[in-house]
Amino acid sequence: MISFEHVSITYPGATTPVLVDVNLQIPEGELVLVVGRTGSGKTTLLRAINGLVPHFTGGTLSGRILVDGRDTAVNPPRELADLVGVVPQDPMSGFVADIVEEELAYGMECLGLAPDVMRRRVEETLDLLGLVELRNRPLLSLSAGQRQRVAIGAVLTSHPKILVLDEPTSALDPGAAEDVLAALQRLVHDLNVTVVMAEHRLERVVQYADRVVVVPGDGEPVISGTASEMMGDAPIAPPVVELGRLAGWHPLPLTIRDARRAAGPLRELLTGRPAPLRVISGERDLAPLTSADHLTVRYGDVFALRNVSTTISSGEIVALMGRNGAGKSTLLNTMVGLKATSAGIVRTNGKDPREIKGSELVHCVGLVPQDPGDLLEASTVAGECRSSDHDASVDPGTTRALLALLAPEVLDGTHPRDLSEGQRLLLALAIVLAASPPLLLLDEPTRGLDYPTKTRLAKILRELAAGGHGILLATHDVELAAEVATRVIVLAEGEIVADGPTAEVVLTSPMFAPQVAKILAPEKWLTVAEVRAAITGEATG
Amino acid sequence: MIGSLHVIPRWLHPAAWWIWALGLAAAASRTTNPLLLLLIISVAALVVTARKPDAPWGRSFMFFLRLGVAVIVIRVLVQVVFGAAFGTTVLLPLPGVTLPSWLAGVRLGGDITFESLLMAFYDGLRLATILICVGAANSLASPSRLLKSVPAALYEFGVSVVVAMTFTPQLVIDVDRVRTARRLRGRPTTGIRAIAGSAMPVFEGALEKSVTLAAAMDSRGYGRRGALSAKKRRTNSALLLLGLVAACIGAYALIAAGSPVALGLPMLILGVSICLVSITLSARAAVRTRYRPDPWALPENLVAGAGVLVAMSFASAAWLLISGLDTPSNPPTWPALPLLPLAGLMIAATPAITAPPLPQPTLASARRNEIEVAA
Amino acid sequence: MSDSRALRLGPRSITTIAATSLVGIIAFGWPLIAAPTSSVVAHAADAPWLFAIVVPLMLAVVVASFTDGGMDAKAIALLGVLAAVVSVLRPLGGGTAGLEPIWVVLVLGGRALGPGFGFALGAVSLFSSALLTGGVGPWLPFQMLGAAWVGLGAGLLPRATGRAEITLLAAYGAVASFAYGLLLNLWFWPFTANLPAAVSYIPGASILANLLAWIKFTVVTSLGYDIPRAVLTVTLILIAGAPILHALRRVSRRAAFNPQPKFVRVP
Repeated sequence: MISFEHVSITYPGATTPVLVDVNLQIPEGELVLVVGRTGSGKTTLLRAINGLVPHFTGGTLSGRILVDGRDTAVNPPRELADLVGVVPQDPMSGFVADIVEEELAYGMECLGLAPDVMRRRVEETLDLLGLVELRNRPLLSLSAGQRQRVAIGAVLTSHPKILVLDEPTSALDPGAAEDVLAALQRLVHDLNVTVVMAEHRLERVVQYADRVVVVPGDGEPVISGTASEMMGDAPIAPPVVELGRLAGWHPLPLTIRDARRAAGPLRELLTGRPAPLRVISGERDLAPLTSADHLTVRYGDVFALRNVSTTISSGEIVALMGRNGAGKSTLLNTMVGLKATSAGIVRTNGKDPREIKGSELVHCVGLVPQDPGDLLEASTVAGECRSSDHDASVDPGTTRALLALLAPEVLDGTHPRDLSEGQRLLLALAIVLAASPPLLLLDEPTRGLDYPTKTRLAKILRELAAGGHGILLATHDVELAAEVATRVIVLAEGEIVADGPTAEVVLTSPMFAPQVAKILAPEKWLTVAEVRAAITGEATG
Repeated sequence: MIGSLHVIPRWLHPAAWWIWALGLAAAASRTTNPLLLLLIISVAALVVTARKPDAPWGRSFMFFLRLGVAVIVIRVLVQVVFGAAFGTTVLLPLPGVTLPSWLAGVRLGGDITFESLLMAFYDGLRLATILICVGAANSLASPSRLLKSVPAALYEFGVSVVVAMTFTPQLVIDVDRVRTARRLRGRPTTGIRAIAGSAMPVFEGALEKSVTLAAAMDSRGYGRRGALSAKKRRTNSALLLLGLVAACIGAYALIAAGSPVALGLPMLILGVSICLVSITLSARAAVRTRYRPDPWALPENLVAGAGVLVAMSFASAAWLLISGLDTPSNPPTWPALPLLPLAGLMIAATPAITAPPLPQPTLASARRNEIEVAA
Repeated sequence: MSDSRALRLGPRSITTIAATSLVGIIAFGWPLIAAPTSSVVAHAADAPWLFAIVVPLMLAVVVASFTDGGMDAKAIALLGVLAAVVSVLRPLGGGTAGLEPIWVVLVLGGRALGPGFGFALGAVSLFSSALLTGGVGPWLPFQMLGAAWVGLGAGLLPRATGRAEITLLAAYGAVASFAYGLLLNLWFWPFTANLPAAVSYIPGASILANLLAWIKFTVVTSLGYDIPRAVLTVTLILIAGAPILHALRRVSRRAAFNPQPKFVRVP
């Protein structure tokens, strides 16, 4: 269906090619997963399939890309629109219309389909993706998961044979992600669509993939193979695969189901062995850094939080989980005084956060918002660091030194908007940490982060907690929560439905349990690292 | 007619509303009779009340009403300050000054007479009525539906306007979010500096989004067009050139000394028409189609026809020299109610019934709060 | 290689802009430039309505001639986004004393992205903001044409860099936004035929007499709006001109207008 023949791509002004001598054959009706670090050329590969690279971006493509027999050199993206549907990373930025139904029809209008065909396909697509109730809704009012499904529907109406998606689940909660993936799987199985998608969250998608393409970056050759072949020695792998490798299971399981079948002996081995308890190390002042008491927050007549009571103390890493729109961001915003309470009490550092003014606030609490770019106003990284030192009234150079610790590769002269998503997050984190606030809040920090960056973030968070910071982290990423959190709070429709030590909360939840827990249940293990420590401890002890 | 009372609720084609409203405005421009003008305003208000959708743009009628009042007040004030008073009924004797001759001897102030105030009021009322008719169209016709029915030749222009309209509320939300986020850095969140400081990142973000949007549009087939033969292209270009030259000659002939009306106006109209033919022919190359276009059916004909008829009734009344269109202010006379324009106004009020009722408001309009939560 | 002009003008578009501008100048300026014995003066009451029909049609022809030359998705999207920025800014002044911050965007947009784009930006942004605020009316085509001229002119300014460029743009912004007010005033003026003679348009009077009347009319009615508008534009360009220009140029680099993709066959 798609064939890359000796493809190398160089962007205008660049001296080295992004992709070198790529050879790929993707057969019809497969679900292909493209993995690789940020900046490895993954997105370039995806965008080359419909000719956006180089027709849209400029640059040089050597070699040949054939898509269903059509050469992208002579077919610009618009001529391939009936064949390849592309769903951009941020669906909102690709919407042309303002109403769901109009958006679904836009591509067909461009292709010049007959009105009765358009009408029929819109209805079919609304059904296929479960969007019927949303048909007259403004796109702006949809949740992230709904937007993603509309974006998929908007390209599906053109009946493409190939669907290309860039990180379709990165902004979604586990439930919404499964809806999207189920829809994609239905396309592959029932309609024989070829799906090519890039995704960092392997644990969510690898079990659906027929084929995995690894883009290592730095001019290393692109390799591809069936999912289980590739997972055998891929540098990054989801926990299920890592556990399989650790236990030496063969064939390597990709799904929880397969892994559970193979996991009998491992479970036995671990039985009776106490899973490591996550305790807050050292003597701590247990006075809460922030507390909410019967907190209620509303937007107009919509209740975002109802009667929420909790506290965050020093040394804790608390993961705040729940569906999109469950009130996670609202809780964080209320704790820093961005949002006023409607009833109940919030105390941060012993004060009402709305009353804490100016630079006093940055010394009490730091929040890295969902889009870290919201914090950035300067035109260079160095400028941003200087203004941060000034805001926090700390010694000049403090922020820059922190940034050098967190992200050593970031250069002074870069425009903050040219940084990768992960680098931008770490820059915002450095700015927030400059005033060394005892309480640190992070809203959805792992969105769009690749595995190495996520590992680095987890390490940073543990060190901060060990240093006495209290951390509250709103996240959809169950694996991250399992890895770092000492406590988990689950919100649903603005109410706390669970609040307790990580293991207790996540083990019982089908939605928030990490893969290792699902495989090893009823044993209480959360991460591969814990299991590895237990096993190797056995071997040496 | 009775059948049309049972029509399925739907949106009337916005162009029909505009034709109706402009017809009403054209009628207003032909008269200074305050009774007729007030009747025109009442007709507009009646139809707006009956068929106004519950949308932000639906509220613009009130704005135009207030604007109309302001126009009348300003017009009367100008008369008081600059108007050389005429008439005999002095309401308020005031001293006047005549400015020096280098200001062309403008006379300021002077006695305020009932006659001159009345004249100013009539004049202001006429302008206000025209404005209110336009306001009625703004209130009744959905802007996004108007954009859906732009002719094929202006499709790209329409797309960019749609993008602008979709993007505007997003920008407002973004600026607000970034402004409040300044708090997280210990910076002020109110005042000019805060808005200016948050405007720049939002502006840059918006510019970047435009590139993503363009890529998405390209991938979805924007700008696909069939090839127009070279010969046809040349013909179209030649037509366009011809039309442009004719339009320029026509426009110039309109302002040149002593030129007959018979040259300027027809030439201008001919030139513009040729241009329009040329761009319409060029647009044929596009392969686009429309999804669920607004139909043009009986109700559209009735509404637009009502507009045309009211304009014609006033115009023919003026042409037939039927008295009562103009109300003399010196000496003040009680305004008459001529029958022909009155009949026209009765017809102009029919859209209150003949336009189909609006579809039930969807949940969409009631979800503003969710937009806020989602953001 | 790419150039920074988001919308390249071909001979067709240039001819169309020129012809439309000529018709536009007449449509705006006829009360002051028409010979007292000309036919337009003889029908002075109908003339504004005639031009209110002709000008939008001519604008439609210009816009169509742009897109027929292949206005790509990047230009359309950027046009839409900048028009959205204008639509956000326009109500900010609330109509008070002409404090419309939109001229900064039009001037700098035209400067950074070329005269053709500037023209389109002026027209599109005034149109979409009018749709959003319910300000559509016979005045709209004239506002669109006036704003389009402002954007076009900004794109045609001579080369300059650094401080000199900002000063140049500020000066242009002052003149352009002031002139815009005068033009719109001129359009409106013939409707005031019943005003006191000292300030009203008198068909058939000498051009000089009408010019004086118009100046007085302007002083009385709109100067209070035009001067603050020009001052605000200058101030904003001097303060924010450099970063906005920088951002516009950055996106124009990033968007790579008119890219020239190369394909190399590997044997």
